[in-house]
Amino acid sequence: MRIGRLGLGALALSLASAAFPAWSQTKIDFFFPVPVEGKLAREMTRLVKLYNESQKEVEVVASYTGSYDDTKLKAQAAAKAGKPPSVVLMSANFNVDLKLSGDIISLEPMLKADETTREDFLKDFWPALHANATVDGELYGVPFHNSTPLLYYNVEHFKEAGLDPSKPPRTWAEMVDAAKKLTKGDRSGFMMPAGYDYLGWLMEALSLSNGGRYFNEDYGGEVYYDQPSMLGAARFVEDLIFKHKVMPQGVTEAGGVSTAFFAGKASMVLLSTGSLSFIRENMKTPYDVAFVPKNVRNAVPIGGASLVMFAGQNEESRKAGWKFIKWLSSTDTLGGWSRFTGYFAPRKSAYDKPEMKEFIAKNPDAKVALDQLPYAKPWFATYQTVAVRKALEDEIQALMNGKKKAAEAVKDAQKKADELMRPYAETTSLKLP
Amino acid sequence: MSLAGTTGVLDGIQAAAVPVRRRRLRLLPYALLAPSLLFLVLFTYLPVARVLVESFYDKPHGTGAATTFVGLGNYAKVLADPAFRQAAFNNLVYAVGVLVPTLVLALAFALAVQRSTRFSAVLRTVFFFPSLVPLVAAASLFFFIFLPRVGLLDYYLAKIGLSGPNWLGDSDIALWSVIGLTVWKNAGYYMLFYIAGLQNVPRDTIEAAMIDGANAWQRLRFVILPALAPTTAFVVVIALIQLLTNVDHVIVLTRGGPSNATNLLLYYIFQSAHENFEYGKAAAATLMSVAVLLAISLGSLRIMERGARGHG
Repeated sequence: MRIGRLGLGALALSLASAAFPAWSQTKIDFFFPVPVEGKLAREMTRLVKLYNESQKEVEVVASYTGSYDDTKLKAQAAAKAGKPPSVVLMSANFNVDLKLSGDIISLEPMLKADETTREDFLKDFWPALHANATVDGELYGVPFHNSTPLLYYNVEHFKEAGLDPSKPPRTWAEMVDAAKKLTKGDRSGFMMPAGYDYLGWLMEALSLSNGGRYFNEDYGGEVYYDQPSMLGAARFVEDLIFKHKVMPQGVTEAGGVSTAFFAGKASMVLLSTGSLSFIRENMKTPYDVAFVPKNVRNAVPIGGASLVMFAGQNEESRKAGWKFIKWLSSTDTLGGWSRFTGYFAPRKSAYDKPEMKEFIAKNPDAKVALDQLPYAKPWFATYQTVAVRKALEDEIQALMNGKKKAAEAVKDAQKKADELMRPYAETTSLKLP
Repeated sequence: MSLAGTTGVLDGIQAAAVPVRRRRLRLLPYALLAPSLLFLVLFTYLPVARVLVESFYDKPHGTGAATTFVGLGNYAKVLADPAFRQAAFNNLVYAVGVLVPTLVLALAFALAVQRSTRFSAVLRTVFFFPSLVPLVAAASLFFFIFLPRVGLLDYYLAKIGLSGPNWLGDSDIALWSVIGLTVWKNAGYYMLFYIAGLQNVPRDTIEAAMIDGANAWQRLRFVILPALAPTTAFVVVIALIQLLTNVDHVIVLTRGGPSNATNLLLYYIFQSAHENFEYGKAAAATLMSVAVLLAISLGSLRIMERGARGHG
């Protein structure tokens, strides 16, 4: 199969070079993942075609590279093989690791060439996105699409339980109260995905809502697991399962949670705003959405992807890549992509456009998600992001299975995370004169 | 295995050949082997050698430090890693937990359908069907079967008044759910080998046992099973290799969770290399797994050869 693809590639290459004189164009590779469904891959291919036809200097070859994780893997593999992709749409929390491993390059020289500053360039992007776009004070990624967690709830269940569906729970106390009334037979009042990746993100949401920070946004060698904010969040999860008995014991993956919500086996669920279109299309009974309930303050983490450039390409390719990034992250392109996918547009100006205003008016659930955006905070990104996140997730999963208590879980998670980040800390904050 | 077999046969030819043609024939086996050897060297032995070299070096991720020779340091690190130890233990439980029921089922299926009637042809297809489903697809199917409360399994359990556990989300049960899926997937495949093996069990020995008054169980225990020993050894090797090299279902269903309860060696290696930037550690863990596989294969091959000599 690989040989077949190579053959096809060679054929395409020869055809392309026959059709376009090579000296007038810079050809660049663009890798993109699609976390949700095939429909999006087609839309991206359409956008790239549109770009290629709109100008003559750059020809972008777009490759669909699977999930976020696969995309990182394939881009790194291509770079190792000496053929780095020019531009990659990368999960935003990989940026710190990829900068540290030397895989991606700083975009500051491009800003300089454009005679602009980072502040100016990022001004139009939502403030919560700035931290994930920069590493060590330099621009490394341009936000492309984003999401936050959101509370989805079954309107009919609310009515049955004597709750007012127009007044969803706003605090943890109200949520527990509602969940207790909603839990009945094999129906759970509340559920949340607890597989790897999703769980870390939701624990960040709960600890942020509890006044916490989860990680140090400015320094990749620090997380705040063994702290009151995370301890409270962990104990909250533990209580939902074992004390209030409103959430099933054990781990349920995102697919299990959304299926339970569709089947009426879960009344309230925490899922991504990126699932809005999916829920809208599959939920048969009325539902509504609300902010993630708070204990101390309203706050949610950002998720999503940004455009990065790989190391090892020549000057010409870098220039072409940057040009493409600027087009792809323009207000109009981002707005259109957002309406098509259900993700947020990272640019504020996208929401001033008439077509966006019309879309929001038609989809009130998208409005709630948008209203929550000003409360958003950066997505955790540290040295060894995945392993450090997993250190917490393994412990919370043990807690959800009744194997550990909250206090012990966050303590062990902190210990493991500190061990993982130790080599970095030793060459940075612990390296003293 | 096939290599050993081929050279064995060729040795036989050589011994029988007239002395004049001996030299030419001695080169012939190598000439015949050359194409596959070339590919083996290029795509198997060279990468193994590279991994071996890589396993002695370490480049701490993201600290700017240079690649340094650490000797057996990576091996020590891997062995000290609780996640590795858990993955190794899980893999052991998984291997035994899959192997025993799979072999019993495969043999039972083979005994049930060995006669070629139209009915047993249908049954063979039924038993073999799961092997035709790619592991990734099977795992995606089982995702819906295992869904707590709304899945197929819980749906039928509810009909008989039982409520199932959280099949993939309970850390005590998840590995056994994965084992169940693998047994379902593999038993039909190994049945094929046993059907083939059964054809080679000498009829007259079985008839002699019948005349001596051996009942069905005694015939199975003292005649058929010993005759099937080479088949069993072969199936065990194939099965163990599969159990160490297939983790598609783990990736689809649990990604090693909850709390590493379903993490297997190969997935641990993947995580080290591609999630944690620890290539040296991944290389060391790879080599250790390959060494274990090699040891198992060699051991079983010896048993097989002995069996082949005894009954051939």
